[in-house]
Amino acid sequence: MFDSQKVGAKAVFVLQARNLTVSARVDDAIVPVIRALSFELPRGKILGLVGESGAGKSMVGRSIAQLLPSGFHILGGELAFEGQSLVHMAAARRRALLGRAIAFIPQAPLTALNPVMTIGRQFDEHLARLDQRGRAHRRERAIAMLAAAKLPNASELLDRYPHQLSGGMCQRVLIAMAFVSNPKLVIADEPTTALDVTMHPPIIHLIADMQRQHGTAVIFITHDLRLAAQLCDEVVVMYAGRAVERGPARSVFSTPAHPYTRCLQLANPSMSAERRTLYVVPDQMPSLRQLRGISGCHFAPRCPLVAEDCCQAEPPNVAITADHVVACIRAEDTRSITTELGSTVATTFSKRTLLQVERLGKRYAIGRGLLGRTYEIAAVKDVSFSIAENEFVALVGESGSGKSTLAKLLIGLEKPSTGQIMLNGQDLTEPSTRARRLRTETMQMIFQDSQSALNPRRRVASIITQVMEAGNRRASWDERTARTNVLLAEVGLSADFAMRLPAQLSGGQRQRINIARALCNIPKILIADEIVSGLDVSIQAQLLNLLMRLRAELGFAMLFISHDLSVVRHLCSRVLVMYRGEIVEQGPIDTVFGAPQHPHTRALLSSIPPGGALGSLAIGGE
Amino acid sequence: MPHPIYRSLRSARVLVALGLILCIGFCAAFASSIAPHDPSEQNLVSTLLPPAWAIGGDETFPLGTDSLGRCVLSRLIYGARTAMTVAVFASLGAMVIGSILAYVSGYFGGAIDWIIGRAVDVWMSFPPVILSLILMVGLGIGLDKVILAIVLVDWTRFCRVLRSEVLIVTGRDYVAAARLLGFTHWQTLVREVVPATLPLLITLISLEMAIAVVVEAILSFVGLGVKPDQPAWGQMIADARQYVYQSPWNLLFPVLAIFLTVTAFNLLGDGLRRTLDVRLAESGR
Repeated sequence: MFDSQKVGAKAVFVLQARNLTVSARVDDAIVPVIRALSFELPRGKILGLVGESGAGKSMVGRSIAQLLPSGFHILGGELAFEGQSLVHMAAARRRALLGRAIAFIPQAPLTALNPVMTIGRQFDEHLARLDQRGRAHRRERAIAMLAAAKLPNASELLDRYPHQLSGGMCQRVLIAMAFVSNPKLVIADEPTTALDVTMHPPIIHLIADMQRQHGTAVIFITHDLRLAAQLCDEVVVMYAGRAVERGPARSVFSTPAHPYTRCLQLANPSMSAERRTLYVVPDQMPSLRQLRGISGCHFAPRCPLVAEDCCQAEPPNVAITADHVVACIRAEDTRSITTELGSTVATTFSKRTLLQVERLGKRYAIGRGLLGRTYEIAAVKDVSFSIAENEFVALVGESGSGKSTLAKLLIGLEKPSTGQIMLNGQDLTEPSTRARRLRTETMQMIFQDSQSALNPRRRVASIITQVMEAGNRRASWDERTARTNVLLAEVGLSADFAMRLPAQLSGGQRQRINIARALCNIPKILIADEIVSGLDVSIQAQLLNLLMRLRAELGFAMLFISHDLSVVRHLCSRVLVMYRGEIVEQGPIDTVFGAPQHPHTRALLSSIPPGGALGSLAIGGE
Repeated sequence: MPHPIYRSLRSARVLVALGLILCIGFCAAFASSIAPHDPSEQNLVSTLLPPAWAIGGDETFPLGTDSLGRCVLSRLIYGARTAMTVAVFASLGAMVIGSILAYVSGYFGGAIDWIIGRAVDVWMSFPPVILSLILMVGLGIGLDKVILAIVLVDWTRFCRVLRSEVLIVTGRDYVAAARLLGFTHWQTLVREVVPATLPLLITLISLEMAIAVVVEAILSFVGLGVKPDQPAWGQMIADARQYVYQSPWNLLFPVLAIFLTVTAFNLLGDGLRRTLDVRLAESGR
């Protein structure tokens, strides 16, 4: 079909990178964003690029399309598609390849489709560009491709607009469009990150199926090591622009050779293995600015195995086995990094009920039109549960299941339509100042979006002791400074953070400030709404350990809202599963996850890549 | 990151605009000591004199005289006083009414928001110039009446623009967090919402000042502005209009004065918007 096939017959690798170096201009200095990256992608194989945010993994995909952000340039090295250099190729020839022989699956499916054009027109436009003659023929092809992407009623779908489809359906459309040209190479950049958890496994399966059917080579960019191990043939782990480890997915995951890979694995709570404390890598990945100040191995400042030699020169690539390469001079000691086994879930909470919720409901009136017809939808229906002192209870469910509405009802940001919230035997639902004061004193909330939750004009000290200026309280600045220092120490930040502004903090630090503010008044119950989602694994581990330490020190109960079941299993003792506004299942974590009763719980559980078993094997092998 | 106020002082637009406004403001404040003549002093011997540098000009009247022999420069300087008074008080008045309603409307939402929103809709459906003319006819002429008319017409501009900003800020989690920490509505509004909307408010005031100058000139031009014995730029244009062929200078100078003042306020507003608005400042404009 394409002449590239003829050329491709000669080249062994679909994509080959040799010492690829991409640089960025920061403060008038050139900083390498990707350093000497080399990999080979044989035809029909899947290569995983794994790393936390800022590792430079997305820049690889952008280098292929030559769509680097302004200030970024390919400084050296070679990137060859079927033996032809993409770096030195004329723009017109590269354009001819993109969308035909090289296709992309984007991260955010809803923004990748044109909102004012039907799916059919966008598909047709794409096929017309591929020189497919005849409108009827193109339509047939589109329908066949959408059906292959397991979209029901493909012919009806062509007349729909993107906003009428769910995120998962949009991603299926984009996958169908990516594979319709029988590409040699597909680049999937975090294709599930923007989607609901329950949508992750079907999308991953679809990409894998399509890849097998079409014999396509795929570059799969992800932050999830477990997912990469499950899907990919080969994995490249990236840290601060360098490939620190490269090898077959199974062996990288079961016997990680680089300390960073090992730390990442130990920082990830497992779904099935025995609970153990999470390994906490201190600090965070250096930013482009900080990179200039680090000599030698870039992971050295955070590495548990750091030795003097590490800071002298960049470590060379060492081959452990024929195809497993690691950039570390102490790789043989990596296995010695470990964490203690032990229950992370407190079982010693008292049985005294702190919060009792009975038949709580919330209805919203929608569709108030000119005709005065109102429809009511129930966001939360007849929810009953209780939380004991010092108990961490998880609330799980997919987005739109009413989790956040329930949190708002509990904290008092929304008024319930029906039902009762009893705190220590006192009704919180009655609209009195006494109830409001009781709630303020005993309950606090930690918000999901740490950026929006901190006033950008207040300094850290003013934010975390904000409660001391509420109502009639007028604490002196000395009192507030004293409290600030105590709280900053509690959440593991140094005292010089007190005068910073939120814009000067990283995501993990902002979330710590968020926690410190909620703790200022020493509440009895915390409501945490997805507080670790969107954070990198190592930051997530830091925060989860922080929460457990704070519970031991201060003693509080928590309703932990999350979609990540392994995090929930690590932290909480009981779980509430929410589905369409109702709690469909609740009970101790191990019972619910071990023998789920409700179909939705089973669907949620199946969405987790089965990496836990592999993880436990590795740990057991020591 | 430097404080936005310092950042705005590094902007050329803001500096040029502030310089111009300071000059005009100085003229307005010290009109009686700068002006060479009394602005209403008539000199019927030397009417319609050209400026001093033109042929037939008189040194004692640097910008010439009008049809009644009054000194144009003096009238311009006193006219600046009228214009600046209107600009400052009318925009502050419109700001007070409009922003209070905007804060209440955007922060509390619900029925209050609906009522205020519809009131603004109805108010804005009147053409502003006609509405102010009608108001002037009803109120009578005079400086205070001009200010009142502009306030009554233009509060909606503040209300509508500011409300949407208040709505965005109120939706931020830190506003909810403040309530959860026990802040009263008043405390939340004053300490969390208002500071976040101040940059927009400052920008709006500066733009409103430019509008107030124009509206005052229009009203004075049709004789429904300040009292006839008080010099105003609009009035000067109206007077000069009849003698535009004999003495085009008389028309030119007040037009130029209005142009400079309005440009200065607009430049200031634009410059402040670019430097105080975080979103614009970050994108590197």
